[in-house]
Amino acid sequence: MFLALREMRHSKARYSLIMVIMLLVSFLVLFVTGLARGLAYANISAVENMPANYFALQDDAEHTFRRSQLSGTALSTAQSIAGTENAAALAVQTSTVTAEAADAKADITFFAVDMDGMLAPEVVQGSSLTNASQGGAVVDSKLTESGITVGSTITDQASGMSFKVQGVVEDSSYSHMPVVYITTADWQTMKSGNVPPGSDQQSAPYNVIALKASSAQAAEIAGKLDHLETITQKQAIKSIPGYAAEQNSLQMMIAFLFAIAAFVLAVFFYVITIQKTSQFGILKAMGTKMSYLAWSVVGQVLILSVASLAVSLLLTFGMNMGLPDSMPFQLEGSTILLTSVLFVGMSLLGALISVARVAKVDALEAIGRAGA
Amino acid sequence: MSTMLRMKQVTQTYGDGGQTMSVLDNLDLTVDEGEFVAVLGPSGSGKSTFLSAAGALLTPTSGEIYIDGESLNNKDKRELTALRLQKIGFMFQSAQLLPYLKVEEQLLYVSRLAKLEPKEAKVRAAQLMQRLGIWDRRNHYPEKLSGGEKQRVAIARAWMNKPAILFADEPTASLDFERGREVVRMIADEVRSEGKAAVMVTHDERMLEWCSRVLHLENGALVEHKQI
Repeated sequence: MFLALREMRHSKARYSLIMVIMLLVSFLVLFVTGLARGLAYANISAVENMPANYFALQDDAEHTFRRSQLSGTALSTAQSIAGTENAAALAVQTSTVTAEAADAKADITFFAVDMDGMLAPEVVQGSSLTNASQGGAVVDSKLTESGITVGSTITDQASGMSFKVQGVVEDSSYSHMPVVYITTADWQTMKSGNVPPGSDQQSAPYNVIALKASSAQAAEIAGKLDHLETITQKQAIKSIPGYAAEQNSLQMMIAFLFAIAAFVLAVFFYVITIQKTSQFGILKAMGTKMSYLAWSVVGQVLILSVASLAVSLLLTFGMNMGLPDSMPFQLEGSTILLTSVLFVGMSLLGALISVARVAKVDALEAIGRAGA
Repeated sequence: MSTMLRMKQVTQTYGDGGQTMSVLDNLDLTVDEGEFVAVLGPSGSGKSTFLSAAGALLTPTSGEIYIDGESLNNKDKRELTALRLQKIGFMFQSAQLLPYLKVEEQLLYVSRLAKLEPKEAKVRAAQLMQRLGIWDRRNHYPEKLSGGEKQRVAIARAWMNKPAILFADEPTASLDFERGREVVRMIADEVRSEGKAAVMVTHDERMLEWCSRVLHLENGALVEHKQI
């Protein structure tokens, strides 16, 4: 590090330029990652925040909640295996609601859940629903932006049913739509004109069963019931309409940014290294070990990448504070850590080309050279 | 009196198959403690090859080389690197200082490589810089030094780790006559005060005043001419 640090001290302009470029690239990496995570969260937070690790649904539904249709017997079987409190039915219905007071219309997704079960929403404002309450709803906080608050009445456009908003939950989106939680009893009423022939008239079908179960239990449930499979929460999230398409394009951008970061750094360092070929020859002739020189190159890259990463993290946080709410942005500690490690790792990978070049320099080049 | 460098029947050939060329042909040389040997020869006579072989940078095709009694044969690259660091001081054409190290750091760098005790190294560097008249320049970068000063820093750097022998590759090539003479005189002074040896390769016959022996590299071997 003796050489690495002194060289950077001497050629401040050169190394500052590299650092600025790395700073911009790493900032872009972090920022796009944050936006991708934000978008993902804004899309599917309702499913991500569920305390379930498995979902059971019809095997021909291709993992998509809305395509699946299950009946009451499936739930009791699941509850008998995973435990009553670890399995809960979930009915999903996208719709449009109007709020008469606020003169607003909004696309929403109804989640009908057992208010005593594990999927019951945790309100941050107002009061929770109980299974006994009729015509009540708990809505996602995004709806409050359209003027719908506790006490408002919303009307489902499709069925004409009205619900009184009793509470507000946070971070509850499905397919970018705010979720409106209603009771299963209201769900029955909503669906009563719409019960498929042959099914139990007393209970309208629901879509999936959320499970808090071990993988063995999940497999057992899938085995016991015909035409039913269990998928992990991750698989379920991936199958939410639009999620994969959205995330794939963003992830491709991020992957390219990583590649660009590594490439830019590799080229810069390679050019600098070529310029210093004769210096390396002299250093080797004087008895500098190759490992020392390799560490010198790697050390410089390490210092540059970590320093620029630190600054870009600060920039990212600063930028995040200035972002409007309509641009969802989210960076968890684990994502930051992973991104940072990857960035530094890719930079070091780029530096290896230079190290290989230094290794090739022959100490013999030092003798008989007139040029400096 | 101990022998600092001994080269026995050293041959270096280039080329392959039928077309081979011997740059060094059974070359013998012994340099004792306190000696300052000049090796003269026109360009292309194999001076660089000779210096590379003697300086443990190149393993010759055949022959034996001993530095301070230690044989270079059967040593791998790593061991040769360590030996160069401990036993050999190099001076290159146009000084070849590292542009980003201040004068004092140029000296401390080699002592760090050799894992000398830092305090001791600082004292040693100060002594050398004072003897060579570059003490006032210790906090300057090489770009601020004149050609003669750069070569004096190179002398100091070469002696920093107390090597057994110093090899100088055309140390006066980039200097005018007066400055060149001064640099050669300083090398000679240091050989005396360090009690070690030095070999200088040059093509300039005007620089031989302080050398204890003058050898000519002719047809791959070293021959001594009678002083004119």
